[in-house]
Amino acid sequence: MLKRSKEFIQAYKEAPWRRQMQMIGFVASGVVALALVAAIYLNITARSATAGRLVQQFQAQRADQEQRIEDLKTQLAFILSVEQMQKRARDLGFEPVSPAAITYLSVPEYQGRPSGAELAPRAGSGFGAVAPLPAAYTDSLFDWLVALFADLGGY
Amino acid sequence: MPREHTWRYISMAAVFALAGMLIFWRAFFIQGSAEAAEFLQQSEYYSRLLKTIYPPRGEIYDRNGHLLAGNRTVYEIGVELESVQDPEAIAFALSNMVGTDYNSVLKKINDFSTLGAIYGILDDYVLPEKIDLLRAYNVNLPREEEDSYHCSNDPALIALICRPHLARSYPERDLASNVLGFVTQDSNGNFGVEQKYQDLLAGLPEEIWVPTDPNRVQELPDVPAGASLILTIDREIQAMVEDVLDEALERTGAESATGIVMDPRTGEILAMTSTPRLDLNDYQQYVDIYDENKPYNRATGQIYEPGSIFKVVTMAGAIDLGLVTPETVFNDTGIFYYGGIAIRNWNGQAWGEQTMLGCLQNSLNVCLASVGEKLGAENFYHYVQAFGFGYPTGVDLFNEASGTLRLPGVLGEVPWTDSDLATNTFGQGLAVTPMQMVTAVTAFINDGRMVIPHIVKGVVQNGMQYNIPPQFAGTPISAETAHTLTQILADSLEFESSMALVPGYRLAGKTGTAQIPMPSGNYDPNQTNTSFVGWGPVDDPKFVVFVWLERPETSIWASEVAAPVFADIVERLVVLMDIPPDQQRQVAAEQ
Repeated sequence: MLKRSKEFIQAYKEAPWRRQMQMIGFVASGVVALALVAAIYLNITARSATAGRLVQQFQAQRADQEQRIEDLKTQLAFILSVEQMQKRARDLGFEPVSPAAITYLSVPEYQGRPSGAELAPRAGSGFGAVAPLPAAYTDSLFDWLVALFADLGGY
Repeated sequence: MPREHTWRYISMAAVFALAGMLIFWRAFFIQGSAEAAEFLQQSEYYSRLLKTIYPPRGEIYDRNGHLLAGNRTVYEIGVELESVQDPEAIAFALSNMVGTDYNSVLKKINDFSTLGAIYGILDDYVLPEKIDLLRAYNVNLPREEEDSYHCSNDPALIALICRPHLARSYPERDLASNVLGFVTQDSNGNFGVEQKYQDLLAGLPEEIWVPTDPNRVQELPDVPAGASLILTIDREIQAMVEDVLDEALERTGAESATGIVMDPRTGEILAMTSTPRLDLNDYQQYVDIYDENKPYNRATGQIYEPGSIFKVVTMAGAIDLGLVTPETVFNDTGIFYYGGIAIRNWNGQAWGEQTMLGCLQNSLNVCLASVGEKLGAENFYHYVQAFGFGYPTGVDLFNEASGTLRLPGVLGEVPWTDSDLATNTFGQGLAVTPMQMVTAVTAFINDGRMVIPHIVKGVVQNGMQYNIPPQFAGTPISAETAHTLTQILADSLEFESSMALVPGYRLAGKTGTAQIPMPSGNYDPNQTNTSFVGWGPVDDPKFVVFVWLERPETSIWASEVAAPVFADIVERLVVLMDIPPDQQRQVAAEQ
């Protein structure tokens, strides 16, 4: 009976080479999984480092551009300075007008030249205020779920 | 696997295990060692850089948005010591192209090397044109973008670094220089608006740690630029006033000229200048141009005895109290004794019977001293102070003077005496600034209310513009007195056919010829201060103009020196301000 039962077990027992193959398979799949994770990690890290480097470059470019804008504004002001404009007017044959040579015309409803430079929206005018970001950009998943259930509960 | 080989495998495994354990133990030991803390600190130190972000200095514009003070790119020239191959070549190139002293460059390189420095600054605030000359030394080799800070890729100059940064620049050069002031290389404003609004213009520098690891890169904070200022100055009017005063200075041989143009309704200063002026892009000339004792802006910083121009204050007080009217007659005998001194007229003669209008028209000291006696010291000094004399006007410019005013009962270096009342009534024995004089006459224009002068019209900060409303400094006289005095001053100009008149426009104003006190205490017998303050058009005043010529040589009389300069300015001012002649305005108003 005992002998027969051993034979029965042996008949259904996996072959040793199959168990070895299984073990190798588990280890190999673990190694492959690790390699995959490592590859993904390296890929993401490399891409984020490249992106970070690009951000640094853009920050430097932005600083350069802002500096250049300041410089160009000032250079333009040099070209349009009173001294330069008067010289250009003289070169073009213009001369200062005397009050006696001026004819004033009455233009109904003309308010005259606007007084004062407007270089930015006036404080309190409502312009220039930053619009709040939509909730979709600021809510967490949890916030969204809470809001969703609250809405559903409302119905 | 044969059993006899098992021990070998076990031995190998034990050796590897031991080696692994040793490595772990060693790693653990290093991790906890004293050096580890230092290494960690160093790695932390090198993982980020401390960067100071300096916001660009705020700009300054005139009232129409023309840039008066901006920022332009200049270069710092430095040297990377470990790349230096030929110090003489660097010194030669810099002395020839940039103008830096050859020996100073060599000395700096040697000093930096001795100190073991990595980088040192050889020159700064170098203009781009000079950097272009250095760049011309480039040899035809491909340049990496990262190398763009190198001044040149010539091997002998490869150690030179040209780092751009912003510096203050003034496109209009010396225009409105007395108002603007200037910024020195230490980024500090000096004089004028630049110093008064230093904190606002400069902004707040911010220090941040920038990670060197690109994985840890973070957004740089948006450091707001310094606030920009919009001035009340109109650059066209400013340029015109400077031109007229420069011509007057040459024509009259005066020592200095000062001019102010103000909108009397709002207190906005449209133009303000005094001589000398300075090319603000070359502010180092300041020490050569300016006398140590002379203020940078005489319109607000220089006090002087105003002379007859001050008579309007005396007359205003007397009319306001009802002591006199324009028709009140005064018999001028040519001499008036008060407080132990004798007061005489400007020509030493008796003018006989004169109305108050005649007293102002002929600028009679004797008459005004008599009016002062009627007022009494208490009333007179009440009005003088109510008109703001003895106090700064509050104009938003750096270093405004208060003037000199001795008061009864107030102890001082030189105490007040009775004779002061008599002399003060016609502008002697007290000192005022041109700005105070202009501020005082705004009371005659604004129904008795004085406006506080200001130079900043608006501030632009964080993308918003804040405009500054007019402010008033009190009401020294009634509206009726103001109108009466304006009529007197307009009539007196017309009756005397003053050289201050401009055809087509009714103007009011007063000359001031003032003797100049000398250190001895006596008055200079040969030289005077000549000034004129006037406004117009009388029915709808749009401007107040003040002119002061110091010690003119062609004539000592303000009516001959300052009045024509006032007329010159007004003649051009009405064109620039689009003010039609009175008749045309009245016709247009009736339509």
